[in-house]
Amino acid sequence: MPDIVTTDRLAKRYREHPVVHDLDLRIPEGCVYGFLGPNGSGKSTTMKMLLGLVRPSSGEIRIGGRPMRRSTRRELLGGIGSLIETPPGYGHLTGRENMRLVQRLLGLGDGQVARAVRTVRLQDHLDKKVRAYSLGMKQRLGIAMALAREPRLLILDEPTNGLDPAGIEEIRGLLRRLAGDGVTVMVSSHLLGEIDRTATVLGILGGGRLLFQGTRAELFARSAPDVLIDTPDPAYAHSLLSGGFESRLDGTSVRLAGLDDRATAKAVAHLVGAGVDVHGVRRGERSLEDVFMDLTGGGGL
Amino acid sequence: MGAVRAEFLKVKRSLSWVVVLLLPVALVLVGTVNTVVSGERPEEGWHTLWLRSVVLYGLFPLTVGIGVLASLVWRVEHRGGNWNALMGGPTPALRIVAAKAAVVSALAAAMQGVMLAAVVLAGKLVFALPGLPPGRYVLISAVIAAACVPVAVLQSGLSMLMRSFAAPVAMAFLGAAGAIVLLMLGAGAAASALPYALVGRATQLGTGTFADTGALTLGGAASIAGAAALLTGVLIAASALLLDRTDARA
Ligand SMILES: Nc1ncnc2c1ncn2[C@@H]1O[C@H](COP(=O)(O)OP(=O)(O)O)[C@@H](O)[C@H]1O
Ligand SMILES: [Mg+2]
Repeated sequence: MPDIVTTDRLAKRYREHPVVHDLDLRIPEGCVYGFLGPNGSGKSTTMKMLLGLVRPSSGEIRIGGRPMRRSTRRELLGGIGSLIETPPGYGHLTGRENMRLVQRLLGLGDGQVARAVRTVRLQDHLDKKVRAYSLGMKQRLGIAMALAREPRLLILDEPTNGLDPAGIEEIRGLLRRLAGDGVTVMVSSHLLGEIDRTATVLGILGGGRLLFQGTRAELFARSAPDVLIDTPDPAYAHSLLSGGFESRLDGTSVRLAGLDDRATAKAVAHLVGAGVDVHGVRRGERSLEDVFMDLTGGGGL
Repeated sequence: MGAVRAEFLKVKRSLSWVVVLLLPVALVLVGTVNTVVSGERPEEGWHTLWLRSVVLYGLFPLTVGIGVLASLVWRVEHRGGNWNALMGGPTPALRIVAAKAAVVSALAAAMQGVMLAAVVLAGKLVFALPGLPPGRYVLISAVIAAACVPVAVLQSGLSMLMRSFAAPVAMAFLGAAGAIVLLMLGAGAAASALPYALVGRATQLGTGTFADTGALTLGGAASIAGAAALLTGVLIAASALLLDRTDARA
């Protein structure tokens, strides 16, 4: 599938301070791209560069194969809906008036606006002032405002931030519906759990660098789970292994991190050679959360 | 046109209308009270009342008022995610800048309408002046409204670039002070290049105060309108260029 967004060594420095380094993003058309990273890792800055809100210090951005420049920006933005950091909305106006504003500004039809409102399920709250909206309703209004122009690409920056579990579930369902309609969604979060099951492709950012980009399965495969060795004398086994391996005690087992199959065989041979009884060797369970924490150095919230 | 219509929707239920209503009324009130307290009758009728309220209004309240209106109009854009939503959309910078300036200019023109109405009311109710004020005041009001446009564009640009509500208003105040100095020096030509001074000249039109000759000529009115049009074009283009080159903050 072609990539709708590609970046080539995209970087941003504020004064001499680098915030985003040499990012090579590849966002396949039609996917939900989960853009993950701890707070301050550069997610918002990257998304702002994709939208032309912030000028890159170096590197190039292509949207649908076309370079994003000052001259092409407004035209390309016609096909992109976005919500960056805090949701938009004019508090002194009602939800309906806010939608009418977007409609007038972009010259949209009534049908487009009504569809966007129904997609975020806000049709029953349109006559309330936005000032009186809950955070979740404001997020949904912001998404409706972004959706009304029927974009091919939707860029959402932490749309689940600050929402209660029901609100988070509502947004997840919304992302799935959009993806079903063929919209490519790039969605960021500092919490893996919030977009884990919705995203089909993940990009993980840490300290402004892309640490990983690929599918969930690829992410799992990349970091092998720990090896657990069951033995009647784990303390002795641990003392034997800790010299050559990254070993620690885990109940009645010894836990070894970062071992491929050959290293596993070597560790077992070493124990057996020293006369230690080995009752079992197995791979431990690893959640995606563990993998994420390992990659980002535990910097998540 | 869509952008302008969207902007007019945003000022619905806005505090701007309070400014539009109260500022001219307050100025006419000051002019009226001054006249009453001094114990004189407005000897030259409407002219005296106009002189005492509109010329004073043009010295700085009008400029500061436009500054407040521009800050009010932009304040909503600096809130929440509105800036990112507006700048992340397909609307060209020129259209955004022009639409905002159009709204501020329209509010300023409405303010001039209220001013004219307040002068008439004060003249009739307080001083029982005969008839209606001469038609020249309608023409002068139109010239004032035109001269307000470049100030509206300039203040709109400042309030766009600055998040602060007060800083652009303070600059309007300083601009008005600079304009008074220019007009006192009788530097009419230089005054046409400074939007704040142009507004001052327009409010003094036909009064013989400051650099004004006292005679209302079509040529004089047209020269102010022409300068206003030129300044408006330059300032709109400059604001759009700046907006396109500004990074979104925070
Ligand atoms: N306008 C700016 N000027 C200076 N530093 C900035 C600016 N915007 C963001 N930063 C810095 O860039 C880093 C990344 O910020 P951000 O992109 O907001 O991260 P995230 O969205 O992942 O939390 C942070 O250290 C932040 O302080
Ligand atoms: Mg962020």
